[in-house]
Amino acid sequence: MNDEIILQHGLTLEEFKVIKDYLKRDLTIEELGIFSAMWNEHCCYKTSKKWLKKLPTNNEIVIQGPGENAGIIDVKDNDGIAFKIESHNHPSYIEPFNGSATGVGGILRDIFTMGARPIATLDSIRFGNISSDKTKYLLNGVVHGIGHYGNCIGIPNIGGECEFDKSYDYNNLVNAMAIGHVKNDSIFYSKPKTIGGLIVYIGSKTGKDGIHGASMASDVFSEDDEDEKRPSVQVGDPFMEKLLMEGCLELMSSGLIESMQDMGAAGITSSSVEMASKGNVGVHINLDKVPLRQHLTPYEILLSESQERMLAVIEKDNNEKIKEILKKWQIDYEVIGEITNTKRVVFSSNEKIVVDLPVDIIVDDAPEYDREFSLPKKRKYRNFDISNLSIEKTVSNYMNNLNYLDKSWIYNQYDSTVMGDTIKEPGQSSGVVKIHNTDKAIGATTDCNPLYIRINPEKGMIHTVLEAYRNLVASNIKPMAITNNLNFASPLDPNIMGEIVLSITGLSNIAKKLDTPIVSGNVSLYNQTNDRPINPTPVIGMVGCNSNWKKILQNKFINEDDELILLGNSLGIDFSPYYLQDQKIVSSISEYNELSMPDIDLEIKTAKLIQEAADKNLIQSCNDISRGGVFMSLMKMTQKKLGFSIMLDDDKDIFCEYSAGYILTINPKNKDRIVSMLKKERINFLSIGQVKLDSFEINSKKFNYSDMIDKYYKNFAKIIN
Amino acid sequence: MNFKSAVITFPGSNCDRDALTYLKDLTQGEVLNIWHEESSLPNVDLVILPGGFSFGDYLRSGAMASKSKIIKDVISHANDGRYLLGICNGFQILTEIGLLKGALIQNKSIKFLGKDCYIKKKFNNKFNCNIQNNEVLRIPVAHNEGNFYCDQETLNYLHDEELIAFEYCSGEYSLDDANINGSLDNIAGITNKNKNVLGMMPHPERAYQDFHLSNHGKKIIESILS
Amino acid sequence: MRFKILIRLKNQILEPQGKVIEQSLKSLGFEEFSNIRQGKLIEIDLPDSLNERERLEKIDAACKKLLVNEIIEEYEVLG
Repeated sequence: MNDEIILQHGLTLEEFKVIKDYLKRDLTIEELGIFSAMWNEHCCYKTSKKWLKKLPTNNEIVIQGPGENAGIIDVKDNDGIAFKIESHNHPSYIEPFNGSATGVGGILRDIFTMGARPIATLDSIRFGNISSDKTKYLLNGVVHGIGHYGNCIGIPNIGGECEFDKSYDYNNLVNAMAIGHVKNDSIFYSKPKTIGGLIVYIGSKTGKDGIHGASMASDVFSEDDEDEKRPSVQVGDPFMEKLLMEGCLELMSSGLIESMQDMGAAGITSSSVEMASKGNVGVHINLDKVPLRQHLTPYEILLSESQERMLAVIEKDNNEKIKEILKKWQIDYEVIGEITNTKRVVFSSNEKIVVDLPVDIIVDDAPEYDREFSLPKKRKYRNFDISNLSIEKTVSNYMNNLNYLDKSWIYNQYDSTVMGDTIKEPGQSSGVVKIHNTDKAIGATTDCNPLYIRINPEKGMIHTVLEAYRNLVASNIKPMAITNNLNFASPLDPNIMGEIVLSITGLSNIAKKLDTPIVSGNVSLYNQTNDRPINPTPVIGMVGCNSNWKKILQNKFINEDDELILLGNSLGIDFSPYYLQDQKIVSSISEYNELSMPDIDLEIKTAKLIQEAADKNLIQSCNDISRGGVFMSLMKMTQKKLGFSIMLDDDKDIFCEYSAGYILTINPKNKDRIVSMLKKERINFLSIGQVKLDSFEINSKKFNYSDMIDKYYKNFAKIIN
Repeated sequence: MNFKSAVITFPGSNCDRDALTYLKDLTQGEVLNIWHEESSLPNVDLVILPGGFSFGDYLRSGAMASKSKIIKDVISHANDGRYLLGICNGFQILTEIGLLKGALIQNKSIKFLGKDCYIKKKFNNKFNCNIQNNEVLRIPVAHNEGNFYCDQETLNYLHDEELIAFEYCSGEYSLDDANINGSLDNIAGITNKNKNVLGMMPHPERAYQDFHLSNHGKKIIESILS
Repeated sequence: MRFKILIRLKNQILEPQGKVIEQSLKSLGFEEFSNIRQGKLIEIDLPDSLNERERLEKIDAACKKLLVNEIIEEYEVLG
């Protein structure tokens, strides 16, 4: 085994030495393959583990925290919600359609492998500058791929986010989130219980897909690499996954299965190793029994990432009944091994043992690094001159910036209403679905503010989580827990490692204060090409519940003459990074001021008030304030011919970012009651105007309503074509 | 009222549960779920072929489903004059069986379309009799192949025999063209000559609950029951 | 023996993918390409023991029964 092979497998020579010293012998090539998959960043979190351990992951509503396929929270009455977010960044750059489709497939399997029926998905996607043909190609491919998979399998997409920034030019991001419903007494884990239990393979035949996909996730690209990496991308079959999902859910509810694990990154290797590790048992698998599409060597079988496959452990007696159920769903099924008490992972082929490793060295003893990191430099205060920027020019800049425009071009390619339980579709502050046969509503959102995090990772992360929090509160969903996808460039750069460490610190900080533990997540590092790193992009997926769907708030204007009430505090131009960036006042990251300190108490107080007022039916509709300030918040509330007329003392406050910012529309007859509730809690508010037909009026400046609506809803498609 | 109905499930159907819930909530009668491999269909008043991606939409949408074992009985049910409703993929299956004329081909935009659309009644039948003329219904669509096509002779026939049940139109929330997918003459749904079989692309089972964006989908079942 | 069945949308039917492919080719410098239409290819193995007439009969039957929707498609058997 020469150095080159070891390095090609993504291991450092030091890591290899650790393994060899432990085993006191040479490795087989198959064993090297196993370590290359299990010891890369994606599977063992070697760079981030030390810091992730600091995250709050438990409270009284957490049924399952990080460590299983998905996190699960208790929403009462034996109902649980399983959810997780995962990245498929590198594959979607190589082949956007299949790369993103299989990202959706993978996250759905993580949900139903726990016995939960998936009920919604969200997608957080980021691309580079739209002027490049490559970006257009990626955007089309990714949206097509996500839609193709989710639509066919029949799970509604209820929200997400899409950002364009040149830092993603050569590294687009695709983070797929899924939510499922499970009965708490019927949750399935990957831990096998019975020594002698049979290990069975369920699903598609194995082919050469994605060999070395898990290690590809950790590799830094160089531009020339693309074509070589192309054959590695997995191709998904959502029809097969629909059958697999129905078959597995039927098996799990029949009591015939002991444990279940999906085969995702690093395929049969990671699922069997994880089973062994969780159950503190051993596995012995005969690779000759694995159903194959074409001839594969044992090495290839071990590392294949062919999609739509599951591994399960069953008692011998149930074998025949299980076969019957899977036959109905046309799913391949094979007994391939058994659970042993050796605590070793053993694979054989052609009557020879090709892998014989103790579980510990693969999992528990996987490397953990304490990488060097640097803190961001202190910033000097400066103020910014925006006297040249008129309201008209500001608005015009927004209407030509993809980050502000309506994105129905994207989500109209997704099915948002299949399963018949969607309450709030994409394009709203958060997506909301009802749990079937109950009155409960589950809300979810994905958010990230990479610019804020670049300026100050710790504070920026707090701002990001608060934005997700407000997105849920604006729907009257009580935020409960978080899943996070940390997308960063190379941790070998101390500045970037600093971004990783500090965002995790910030996340930990705010999650504790809000009592929203992190129950699942994913890490994707090395997102950079030719020394061009992506902006730090730790994406937050936040989920919550309202036990009564009737109290869910919509984001849109409902009646003419409804009053508009503005809650929150303007951060002011000098402290609104997105305003400064998008109005082209600042061009370099060093020019921004230090981020404002988030007012967490105010956020919590305001959320509580909105919930109380909504429960009393005092609020017509509500939207949160984020990028683009009050103006964009109002823009998103327009529907039918309903617009607005507002007055704000300071022009600038119309476009800045806000702290605890919301717009409420109130029926005038309820105004006094709301005002007295706000005064009682000492929450600042302003009456800024009314909902008005056919009107777009800001501080007496009138814009043509139809013209504005046309631009907002149609410019996205115009710009990307 | 002793109204019995059934929903057929094919491998890949994903709106079957939605259709079952729709029928249970609105008919108060017995609702059966029939697997496509069953060789016989019990006597029921209404059969729904639900939406989804039966057989993955492979080869052509609805092509393989139309050859399932259960279809023989579905055809007898229709020939007996009982109600047969094909929604989205169900509509595609009905044209592949030949119970309805024409075919559904790829949307003109070449993209999947998942959004609310507006339809109104064109010619009266037992599925839309409770809907007023010029009443606009807001109902979601979700399809890749919703573009209705037939030759001129068939189109004339559909008009002459008054078999066009619904056509796409504009609505108060819409910002786009009324014709969302390129369908000939804005056709959103048609019946057979006997008007007991209806195929429609929009999903009424997603527009009938209080929390849905509209409840206009109720009117289809209400019309049948009236 | 391996056979190829080419399935196309009938000429009078709008085939939107072909148009988009044509535009993309033109933008890549392939100015001379026009009138592009996209179809479908199905490949099958049939036993060598069948003679040519039997093979064509079986293929035609399969096309009429399932592989081709004659309302909108036409087909051609190659090799």
